[in-house]
Amino acid sequence: MEVLRLQNLQKSFGSVRALKSASFTLNEGEVVALLGDNGAGKSTLIKAISGVFPVDRGDIYVRGQKVSIRSTRDAMDLGIETIHQDTSLAPDLSIARNLFLGREPVNLKWLGVFAPLDLAQLRDAASALLKRVGISKKLDADALVSTLSGGERQSIAISRAMQFAAKVIILDEPTNNLGVEETHGVLRFVKEVRDAGHSVLLITHNIHHVFQVADRIIVMRRGEIVAEQTVADTDLLTVESIITGADMSALLKETRAK
Amino acid sequence: MMEIDVRRAGGGRHPGVWFDAVMTIAAEEEMPRAKRRSSLIRSPQFSSLVILIVLLAVFAIADANFLSPLNISNMMAFLPELGIIALGMTLLLTAGEFDLSVGAVFGLAPVVVMLLVQNGGVDIGVALLAGLLLCIAIGAINGLIVTKIGISSFLVTLSMLLVVRGAALYITQGFPLKSWDQPGFFVTLLAGSFSIGTFRFYTSLWWFIGLSLLAIYVLRYAKLGNWISAIGSNRNAAVARGVPADAVKIWLFILTSVLAGLAGMISAFRISAASPVAGTGYELEVIAMVVVGGTALTGGRGTILGTIVGALILRSIRNGIVLIGVPGLAYNIFVGVIILAMLILHALLQKNAARS
Ligand SMILES: Nc1ncnc2c1ncn2[C@@H]1O[C@H](COP(=O)(O)OP(=O)(O)OP(=O)(O)O)[C@@H](O)[C@H]1O
Ligand SMILES: [Mg+2]
Repeated sequence: MEVLRLQNLQKSFGSVRALKSASFTLNEGEVVALLGDNGAGKSTLIKAISGVFPVDRGDIYVRGQKVSIRSTRDAMDLGIETIHQDTSLAPDLSIARNLFLGREPVNLKWLGVFAPLDLAQLRDAASALLKRVGISKKLDADALVSTLSGGERQSIAISRAMQFAAKVIILDEPTNNLGVEETHGVLRFVKEVRDAGHSVLLITHNIHHVFQVADRIIVMRRGEIVAEQTVADTDLLTVESIITGADMSALLKETRAK
Repeated sequence: MMEIDVRRAGGGRHPGVWFDAVMTIAAEEEMPRAKRRSSLIRSPQFSSLVILIVLLAVFAIADANFLSPLNISNMMAFLPELGIIALGMTLLLTAGEFDLSVGAVFGLAPVVVMLLVQNGGVDIGVALLAGLLLCIAIGAINGLIVTKIGISSFLVTLSMLLVVRGAALYITQGFPLKSWDQPGFFVTLLAGSFSIGTFRFYTSLWWFIGLSLLAIYVLRYAKLGNWISAIGSNRNAAVARGVPADAVKIWLFILTSVLAGLAGMISAFRISAASPVAGTGYELEVIAMVVVGGTALTGGRGTILGTIVGALILRSIRNGIVLIGVPGLAYNIFVGVIILAMLILHALLQKNAARS
């Protein structure tokens, strides 16, 4: 069943046409890998879906219904959780506070923004979650994020997406800066959410990871989607050649012939 | 085993998670407590407190009158006026912005109120309401320009300082106004006084205490405080989590302006005069109080307790150096040197904490 459908999304920054035209469909319970070289427009595409900025043109459908995503809050309310490549955590806040940022558990809800945080629940849920994720050992939920390593921070951001059990989870280069164990943790997590019926949009430069977890591959080049293939129907070399735009297999044949 | 049900759509939390979490914390409770104590000792507000105690001790030893009821009453009369502004400034700095127009607003608000009453024949209550609206408007303009147009708060509020101070001077033609000196509800509310034994306190102290408690609550325990710290720490991250960063900042600018106006009114009622140059230089004194207390000028880390300690420190320095006989024209040299020493100390402690 279709969960998310993009139709002809376009986005320019001044004269830079970061997104010329992007259309694709994400189905329930599938992992789609979004590939492309630096500057291909991957982050721009997912920022549009997650409400960081509005698109210039194009439509977004969630479960067949046309939606307008005007803010990050809109996207979250539609069940789209995103872990951005560049901005994810507030370093001066504790792990627990970061995990619940924007969705704080509170007492006396009627007080609105002045409602007191349920600190006990915040801390407990956070430490339970850290244990559950298993990609980061022995992190104190009260520790400030500024005291963590880059990889540990990434783990926290991923835990956060897990906790709110979104329909669609978007990961922008989640394994960047991660050690071997943490990377496996992330890939395991991707498979787990897929098996639970969720959809994952995974952006990565590591093609090996793609072949480990993805069902389908979408390749972008200069703001356009240039290829769409199921993983079973393709191989590493082909995908690499599509990404760079050079026909690698032809190149290979040529060198072999010499 | 812990089980998070990822099937629940739209961000529902699984009650089992909380239940299991509660069951597992008992064992972990001890460790953080010991840790919390050591982090308290290393925290900036703690080192500020130590400095305050040292300062008080030095002044008390140097001059016996320092801790006399009269002198303490004196200090407590001045303290709330800058302290109230410092509370708003702390929240604003924590969100990563600051406001240089507070001293000017401190001067303008009472001047406008008194002009309305004396020249316009307006009822004092209505005039105070008009003053309040004026402060809201000034804060809103600051906030809107900073967030929507994206100019740094330094430049916006520096310009606002000139506009507001200029307005105060122009509408009074530079002359101080006699303030409202007829006793009544509003004067008692803002500048009434009461005695406890030989100590004489102003009601403004209650305002300061009440507002301090509110500010502590908001920054440390309320959802809003979480947002304020997150915005100052990493604005994009906060926005990506659906935090309305611009709205929060605009309201904080409004709050700071309103508190500056309130402090101005309190001061004008206390001395029964409204001067167009009142509050000159207060913006820097207030920012000094806040950063001396341990709030980061770069945003993200704010402490109201620290600010209260910072306000006490600056107040007792100003008071103490007079008593121990530092020549009047040399005050600022001492104040500046002490502030600098405190900031250096904070920076060193911060470095130490980061290393360990
Ligand atoms: N806020 C912005 N303002 C101006 N140009 C931008 C902005 N964001 C992205 N761009 C431009 O849009 C193009 C696509 O950028 P984008 O971040 O989407 O690439 P990407 O595919 O995510 O690359 P990477 O793999 O390096 O993360 C780039 O040319 C980039 O310079
Ligand atoms: Mg990117």
